[in-house]
Amino acid sequence: MKHTILVLLLIALSQQVGAQVPDRDAYLRGFEQRVSYVTSFYDTMQTAGYYQIAVRYAHNRDIARADKMFAELLREPRGDMFWMIPSIGAYLHGKDKMSAETRALVRNAWKTYAPYRGDTENHWCMYYSALYLAAEQWPNLPGSEWYNGKSSEENLREAKEYLIHWIKITTSIGQGEFDSPDYFPEYAMPMVLLSHFARDPEMKMRGTMMSDYIFADFATEHLDGQYIGGYSRIYQPAVYKPLLSGGSAFAWLYFGTGTPTNSGWIVIPALCDYRLPQIIYSIAVDRSSTIIEKERKRVRNVIRFGTEKNPPAYKYTYITKDYGIGSLQGGILQPIQQHTWGVRYTYGRPYTTIFGLHPYWSGYEVGMFFPEEVKTLIADVVASKGTYNNPDKWTGGSPFERTFQHRNTLLVLYDIQPGTTTEHIDGFFPRNLEERIVDPSGWIICKAGDTYVGWYPLQEYEWKEELESPANSLSDIGRPQLERVKETGNWRLRSHKRQNGYVIEVRSNDEIGSFEKFKAGLQKHIPKATLLPGKVSVHYKTLGGDAMQFAFPEKRVLNGKAIDLSKTRLFDGPFLSADVGSEKLTMTYKGKKRVLDFKAVTITE
Amino acid sequence: MKSLKVFFTGLTLTVFSAGLFGQQSTVYISVLSTKLFVVGAANPETGLYYKKTGDTVWNHTGAKNIRAFGLAVHTPYKGSLICIASGNGVHRSTDGGATWRITTGWEITEVLSVVIDQSDPNFMLCTTPYGVHRTLDGGITWKECNNGIKEKFASSVVIDHENNKILYCGTEDGVYRSENMGESWQRTGLGVSGVRVVVQNPKDPNTLVAGTDDHGIYVTRNAGKYWEKTEAGLDHLTFYAIAYDPTNPQVLYAGGYVTGVYKSSDGGLSWTRKNEGLTNLNIHSLAVDPTNGSRVFVGTQWSGVFQSDNAGDTWRNIGLNGSQVWTISVQPF
Repeated sequence: MKHTILVLLLIALSQQVGAQVPDRDAYLRGFEQRVSYVTSFYDTMQTAGYYQIAVRYAHNRDIARADKMFAELLREPRGDMFWMIPSIGAYLHGKDKMSAETRALVRNAWKTYAPYRGDTENHWCMYYSALYLAAEQWPNLPGSEWYNGKSSEENLREAKEYLIHWIKITTSIGQGEFDSPDYFPEYAMPMVLLSHFARDPEMKMRGTMMSDYIFADFATEHLDGQYIGGYSRIYQPAVYKPLLSGGSAFAWLYFGTGTPTNSGWIVIPALCDYRLPQIIYSIAVDRSSTIIEKERKRVRNVIRFGTEKNPPAYKYTYITKDYGIGSLQGGILQPIQQHTWGVRYTYGRPYTTIFGLHPYWSGYEVGMFFPEEVKTLIADVVASKGTYNNPDKWTGGSPFERTFQHRNTLLVLYDIQPGTTTEHIDGFFPRNLEERIVDPSGWIICKAGDTYVGWYPLQEYEWKEELESPANSLSDIGRPQLERVKETGNWRLRSHKRQNGYVIEVRSNDEIGSFEKFKAGLQKHIPKATLLPGKVSVHYKTLGGDAMQFAFPEKRVLNGKAIDLSKTRLFDGPFLSADVGSEKLTMTYKGKKRVLDFKAVTITE
Repeated sequence: MKSLKVFFTGLTLTVFSAGLFGQQSTVYISVLSTKLFVVGAANPETGLYYKKTGDTVWNHTGAKNIRAFGLAVHTPYKGSLICIASGNGVHRSTDGGATWRITTGWEITEVLSVVIDQSDPNFMLCTTPYGVHRTLDGGITWKECNNGIKEKFASSVVIDHENNKILYCGTEDGVYRSENMGESWQRTGLGVSGVRVVVQNPKDPNTLVAGTDDHGIYVTRNAGKYWEKTEAGLDHLTFYAIAYDPTNPQVLYAGGYVTGVYKSSDGGLSWTRKNEGLTNLNIHSLAVDPTNGSRVFVGTQWSGVFQSDNAGDTWRNIGLNGSQVWTISVQPF
């Protein structure tokens, strides 16, 4: 008990926000403490699981029990790529310690159990990373020794080709399932495993570089354990309790932020030898200056109802030491779980966010991305994403939603077609706000510690108290068991007008001086909107004095100059820089530089 | 008439002895999923099932959880050569399902259908959301064949049973025709969106029928030059499955989204509903037994398989309840 308290204290002391970035030794000490914290949780756990097995092997502790667990789990492997990654991870950590019988059992599983390859990028990334590592481990075997009938060499070649393809498109036109707090682990785990265990030096290097790449991407939009901005995918609990996401577990382990966790996602990476470069750690935790980050990402494969396979998704993110506000441009950029915009801040865990959306669903949307029949796809989707067709849901994009962000001001417009699945828009306001004032000026003015958020609804609205949150039901595929609680006390702003929108202003106390000044400022800045079908627009002069004009869907004008999102670079911010098509990422921090060149497969500093 | 090749490239063929040709038959089905499919979860068994005449249970073969959309059986070799179109690619067995190999690589994913040229088993086609792919060497190599196709999402492909250079493909923007084994395609006279299925008359290769999402059923009698919408008796517009009675090409069956089963006895000019005993009207697959035209099989979305022994007059469930049965093939052995 004393040991646990001491570790937690040390961990807390090692968590840094602000300019004083701990040096390398201090970082590594903190990292090792966190590794010890999470792995020690698993090395005595008696229930069978791949994380428990991996830790026992890595710690050389109770190997017989680990072998027994492996045998138990391999009696009936299940989980597809969610089996492949942890099972090969456990094997690689223990292959020299496990019994010959256990090694044979593992080998046999790769002969007899045929995992589904999946239908999206994280599935393929996990599937082929695991297959690559397995094919390296068992070379020269004929197809009869593999579940798919292909020889070791064929499997190795196919996996390598896919991984190189994925790396190329990601570093050329952006990641597909980008910046996902909940799907970050599905990329980090395989890349860290490749970095540690790939025998081929070039693939090992690629694993290291892609680990750097996705961690750097996270780091630059990170605040206090949270991913800031718009996301491709997020599950409902984490959208309003950000630290519940798997990505936040990685933030805790690698950045030392957020809250201590024993999330299974980080166990196998914690046992690997990948160490976050100091420059990425610095980018993640130094919030002494404001960050404005613009990025270009890639829409998941559009297989019908579209003209382009991978249209661009544009991100704009603004982060201070107290808060971040970020947005995607709107529209359908990812199916089901898109988070188009949000404010997140350091105050008031666990509800550290304010955001809004048009809760939309349709066969058309899912038909864009999934090949099954459009008319029955919604039922298919609801089997795994239970909130998809819930009019009260808190995740998802909409074809009738667009945004325009400049610094810490965001304009959001809606022009919703009549007869759409829902004709209302919603806003989430957490219960733990210090202030939620409905000002006579029309502004809703909120105080969350040192973060102040103004929300100006362009149409009439009502307040609804949140009564219950739909439960997350995915714990059986390896996600941590999430809380299932009555969410009383949070507030939903609902507006039933189809032509709609709002203006969001966010400032910290440091930026504006006081909550009273913020209020007074907002009262003098009233948006002017036109809200007619097919003609939805807003003019607004920000607290910072910038003139923003926005007409739905794509006309964005800043201080008289039209904004052309198509010119957005892959990464364009104070720390990260990359051009479209470059296959290169340059990180800079206080005179230090790290360049990932994926064409040359080199890292230079 | 083409000659029948007697070998598979690079593989040894095992020809099974079968029952009396023309009396016994085997029903093959691909189960895409059960109602509660979640990637990565402990999903119930799905994939390829078969049942011979007289069998009381369905037999499973191949991988158990691969999103099996389609299947193809090479009739002349009586089931030795079987293919599955799946999320993982095209699986191929040359020993009646005892062993399998995924013939495709990472580039070919979410395979929606597969067909084998009955005269040349090394010539196969598969369709995916990304278009049509072809192999001429039994799956050793595959080539993307989308030249001329505008909307690549392809649900269905047909190899002309009289001339295997001629192909038809149902896509998101109509039915396409190729005269050179898929090297290039031209859109036929049918340009509606959401073509889900194309079938060819077993006797007259110039007559084809297409089922669509939201646009009903179309028939061409001149190899795709002109298509006529067939509406008499049809109360629905979305059809995923159409099947000819191989013993009488005037008889067709059609089914789709909550349609139940429609039957035509005049080559598709008019239709009658045939739903007695059919407890799920959401149909995704249909097939008629080539050894007995009165025996018809229907695959539903989430209620398994139904069988009629009287040409659709009445139906009974024959198992796999809870399954989405994407494709059915009935073979004369």
